[in-house]
Amino acid sequence: MKKTIQIPLGSQHISLLEPIRFKFECENEKIIGVDADVGFVHRGVELACTRSFEFKQVGYVVARVCGLCAITHSLSYTLAVEKLLGYEANDRIKYLRMLMVELDRIHSHMLCLAHTAENAGFEALFMQIMGDRELIMDVQEAISGNRVQFDYISIGGVNRDMTPELTALIHKNLRLLSDKIDALIGLFDNNWSLSLKYKGVGVLSLKDAYTYNALGPLARAAGLATDVRAETNDFPYETLGYQMILESSGDIHARNFVRLREIVNSMEICRNIIDNLPVGEIQEKAKGKPNGEAVVRVEAPRGELFYLVRGNGQNMLERVRIKTPTFSAIPAMMEVFKGSEYADAPAILASFDPCMSCTAK
Amino acid sequence: MFRSMLEAFLNLFRPIRTHRYPAEEITLPTGYRGLIEYGKEACIFCDKCEKVCPPGAILFYQHEDGDKEYRYNPWLCIYCGECVRACPKPQEALWQSETKQHSAVKEEGVNEGWFVWEAACKESREEYARAKKAGKIQNKSEE
Ligand code: SF4
Ligand code: SF4
Repeated sequence: MKKTIQIPLGSQHISLLEPIRFKFECENEKIIGVDADVGFVHRGVELACTRSFEFKQVGYVVARVCGLCAITHSLSYTLAVEKLLGYEANDRIKYLRMLMVELDRIHSHMLCLAHTAENAGFEALFMQIMGDRELIMDVQEAISGNRVQFDYISIGGVNRDMTPELTALIHKNLRLLSDKIDALIGLFDNNWSLSLKYKGVGVLSLKDAYTYNALGPLARAAGLATDVRAETNDFPYETLGYQMILESSGDIHARNFVRLREIVNSMEICRNIIDNLPVGEIQEKAKGKPNGEAVVRVEAPRGELFYLVRGNGQNMLERVRIKTPTFSAIPAMMEVFKGSEYADAPAILASFDPCMSCTAK
Repeated sequence: MFRSMLEAFLNLFRPIRTHRYPAEEITLPTGYRGLIEYGKEACIFCDKCEKVCPPGAILFYQHEDGDKEYRYNPWLCIYCGECVRACPKPQEALWQSETKQHSAVKEEGVNEGWFVWEAACKESREEYARAKKAGKIQNKSEE
């Protein structure tokens, strides 16, 4: 007689935000095998980038891959094309781009924290974090002119400049947020019912993280020191107070803490950026047509985002390949599920902060 | 636990953080990226805005007498502002306002109407090019 039962989670499920299907092989309540299917929201973005849009327009197309890390997508694409054109941005452009990416990281991490809280049954905390997240959304809206689709980065620069009013607004909102994050750190650390759901649940060991190529907060929570911000020198992160955040236990609690501490670190970076903004042009001419092949890695909120762009000296690109962080993290994710309780699966899944629309693009 | 109960009680008296959106207008921040507006007098009909627009939200219809008619689809536009940056006469011929477009209703024919218009524009151009060519040939033969 067969000892195991199969329980599907998804593609539509009450705890899922985006369609993904897991097939769990369960022995009583224990998960012993996992199978994942992610291609439910395929939109053919990669093909559209090479068939319907010219290379100058593609930056706006890839930004639509993901609603949360739109800025990281357009940044990676723009960097790749700028490499092909042999253009390097000046410091002011770099700083402004970094500022938007770090703000993006803050609000994306807050969204993830909110969802883990919700999946631990803490609806009020979810509302509270989402409410506080508005502080950052407001800043981003004021800088770029739109809440979700920033369309801030274009080839050769950024589209809008920083003004004194904006600087004041950023300082004010970061100050307000900083108190709230401190309170959240206390809550996530000390609240008894949250710790029941988080501590020791969904553990990824350092060895597994290494074997299955975990990345982003998932890897850093297990103690694996991997962060594109520290590995590449496209941006001057070290001079602006960047720190690698590492935890060691690898459970949901550790992942939450990596995110919380990264928020604090990102706020620090943002402050440093606006206080030390160099002078310069915000738009420069990047002439020519992309020819050759370029690879760019950027640290998105969820981990490493990888772009390959190949052009042949024409307006249309030959190939655009996007590898999103969630896609790369799937092997590690499946490993975490094995051996945990079925009832914990939604909370574990939320703690990965998966972004399915990115993955299926 | 008592602290969270106290918090919950205090929350009854804190200001509400959500907006009653359709009932109340939301305040847009200054510098909101809104509708693209067009001034015919200053336009030199260089078609640059049409070429750079990623979704193709600006189209020009070619009339037979050589005039061009500007058409803009506010529901297709992504408000990126590329067209304004490409325009040789920004602020006079083409500029980005801070007004927000209302959501489309069926009567506005957002999809079907625009598809028809797109096809018409394409055809008008081809027709015009053909007419021009024919005109040239005729001119030559007259010489
Ligand atoms: S703002 Fe962008 S999408 Fe809208 S018309 Fe101009 S170029 Fe096209
Ligand atoms: S780019 Fe400016 S001048 Fe040229 S056609 Fe468009 S609106 Fe007219």
